[in-house]
Amino acid sequence: MASRRRVLLKVIILGDSGVGKTSLMNQYVNRKFSNQYKATIGADFLTKEVQFEDRIFTLQIWDTAGQERFQSLGVAFYRGADCCVLVYDVNVAKSFDNLNNWREEFLIQASPPDPENFPFVVLGNKIDVDGGNSRVVSEKKAKAWCASKGNIPYFETSAKEGFNVEAAFECIAKNALKNEPEEELYLPDAIDMAGGQQQRSAGCEC
Amino acid sequence: MEEAESYPPIDPSNFDLIVIGTGLPESIVASAASAAGKTVLHLDSNPFYGSHSASLPLNDFIPFIQSESQPQSRNLTSDDYVSTPVATRPLYSAVETNSYSSEPTENSRKFNLDLAGPRVLLCSDSMIDLILKTGINQYMEFKSVDASFISSADGGLENVPDSRSAIFKNRGLSLTEKNQLMKFFKLVQRHLGDDETEDDKISDQDLESPFVEFLTKIGLSQKLKSIILYTIVLADYDQENLEACKDVISTKSGISRLALYHSSIGRFPNANGAIIYPIYGQGELPQAFCRRAAVKGCIYVLRMPVVAILNDKDSGEYKGIKLVSGQELFSPKLIIAPSFTIPSTPNHDAQVANSDDVSLSDTKKVARGICITKHSLNTQVANCLVFFPPRSLYLEQSTSVRVLQLSSNVAVCPSGMFVTYLSAMCDDNVQGKKLLNAAINALFSVPISGNSENSGASNLSEHAEEKPCLLWSTLYIQELTTFQGGLDSISKTPMPDEHLHYTDLLDATEKIFKEIYPNEEFFPSINVSNDDEGGGSELDS
Repeated sequence: MASRRRVLLKVIILGDSGVGKTSLMNQYVNRKFSNQYKATIGADFLTKEVQFEDRIFTLQIWDTAGQERFQSLGVAFYRGADCCVLVYDVNVAKSFDNLNNWREEFLIQASPPDPENFPFVVLGNKIDVDGGNSRVVSEKKAKAWCASKGNIPYFETSAKEGFNVEAAFECIAKNALKNEPEEELYLPDAIDMAGGQQQRSAGCEC
Repeated sequence: MEEAESYPPIDPSNFDLIVIGTGLPESIVASAASAAGKTVLHLDSNPFYGSHSASLPLNDFIPFIQSESQPQSRNLTSDDYVSTPVATRPLYSAVETNSYSSEPTENSRKFNLDLAGPRVLLCSDSMIDLILKTGINQYMEFKSVDASFISSADGGLENVPDSRSAIFKNRGLSLTEKNQLMKFFKLVQRHLGDDETEDDKISDQDLESPFVEFLTKIGLSQKLKSIILYTIVLADYDQENLEACKDVISTKSGISRLALYHSSIGRFPNANGAIIYPIYGQGELPQAFCRRAAVKGCIYVLRMPVVAILNDKDSGEYKGIKLVSGQELFSPKLIIAPSFTIPSTPNHDAQVANSDDVSLSDTKKVARGICITKHSLNTQVANCLVFFPPRSLYLEQSTSVRVLQLSSNVAVCPSGMFVTYLSAMCDDNVQGKKLLNAAINALFSVPISGNSENSGASNLSEHAEEKPCLLWSTLYIQELTTFQGGLDSISKTPMPDEHLHYTDLLDATEKIFKEIYPNEEFFPSINVSNDDEGGGSELDS
């Protein structure tokens, strides 16, 4: 079956504003980090090719595009996700407390066929800040929460230092691949619009 | 006070443009303004995107149209400005729901029911061009509507011969009719062709005449005329009763609609015909435009009712809005969804108030219906259109009834079910319901326990066993509002119209944008990078 489904994996990154969602994906895909924080403008999604057992997959990582700021992500954002990454800032207690809301919001909006086994991955970001002295959420506490939600894989990361980012996304990709898609949606294939007189260009618009 | 605390403060408080409502026209304008570099705040009182263009889970659908069936108003005062309370006026009426099985309601969230169905996209229409131009095809996917049918004289459904190969395969046409139709399509092709031979062109006099007269003149059979007028050119009103017809289609416009239809066939390599439909429903479109806007910096706040419009104390000019939280926000321009009314205050006439009164006296209406079944109208196809031309259901039927059946392969219903949308233009609720009920009775078997009024059911019983049985249905009447922009600072967007396509709605939307930003391009061309080559993002810029 030549379904696009088998090669394209949709990953969405959720979490409070300012926890480093855009930085994490940027570090993973472009190996870049910017110290200047501004609420996300211009971030859409990034893609990266990953290889598993001789097969190449395209990981499509979707940013919230700032629509998470007032909890205004529409249902379309969540649809068809193969893996949901939940990010919090280890230095901000509220961002950890809100993980539960983000997880529930995802399960309601995306309504995956098997919610119990839908792949989530949790990232505790910004472990580099102040040499770890300003940290308020312990690794133990985070791991306990992950365990209580069906053993969600947990990673501590620093998007700034690039620490553990590669490993986290490797796990994300692996889990996305395990997700069983709803076959019916991909039979027959969706319309191929790129072939329809669309102006093609290789560069990005920046 | 408790309520106010649950509404977050919005920062900043000054914008170039504030848009209230996330229906498709509002979402396109928000996206276009953001693309033009304007700072935009986009608000909706609902917890979901789409307003009157939304696709909703089954159990949310009826409460939404019912809540929009009653006028609502809030009142709050402002210290520094004249505060005009915002009210909503009813846009839906005569909602009538029948449930014959609990199965649909038990699977509520697996449904994505369009509020403004039936609606489809033609592969070459202006909406598809905009989707490609803005790159929002990265956020959406489409599938083919596999076939079109027209109700035949004996009550059955016949394939619409809309292309050469379809004419060839068609079994409902005589050989003479096939030749006539083939000749006609060739004639249209020659007329539109580049060859500057006078003989090949349709005369100016013919182009200005009613299309139906031209079709008669070139000798097409009654059946062929009906097929062309109502399934390809998509006429609303009976074209053969020119005196009573409210919208006579000229040959010129008939030919251009036919050309659009034909150029839609084959535009995308793996589309089956001219027509496609978005996976997860029409409500994906406003969401895609909103995401596009968000990527360009537009700020989104759902669940945020607006209670008042703020006007300058001296000049009466529009200044800003007041939210339910009490916060006041300011912008030189405001766009509001069609459900809002702003009653005029004693001293200061609100800038859009008058247009409401005018439009209400002469509103057109569209009757819409949704039916859920477990079987397809035609076992060969999953997604299809069905047309009931004027006078095909009963003698006094003056408008066309259009039907769109969709399956779970476009993710609008649970696996094994089908959702069918119906619509017809009408003068009043009684006429609208009669049109839809006649079509429903022709297509489906309605369980006896239902309370709908089925007058002409006698001659249908013979086919009853072959027809899909209704599990759930709803009928409602939607007001049609016309474009009401151009009143200085406040523009009001139109309701989803009676058409099967988006062309007119998109034209009206572009006009609104041009009125408020006459010097800006409506979506400047950008190079949209292909999604397998890095996503078109500009992170860390």
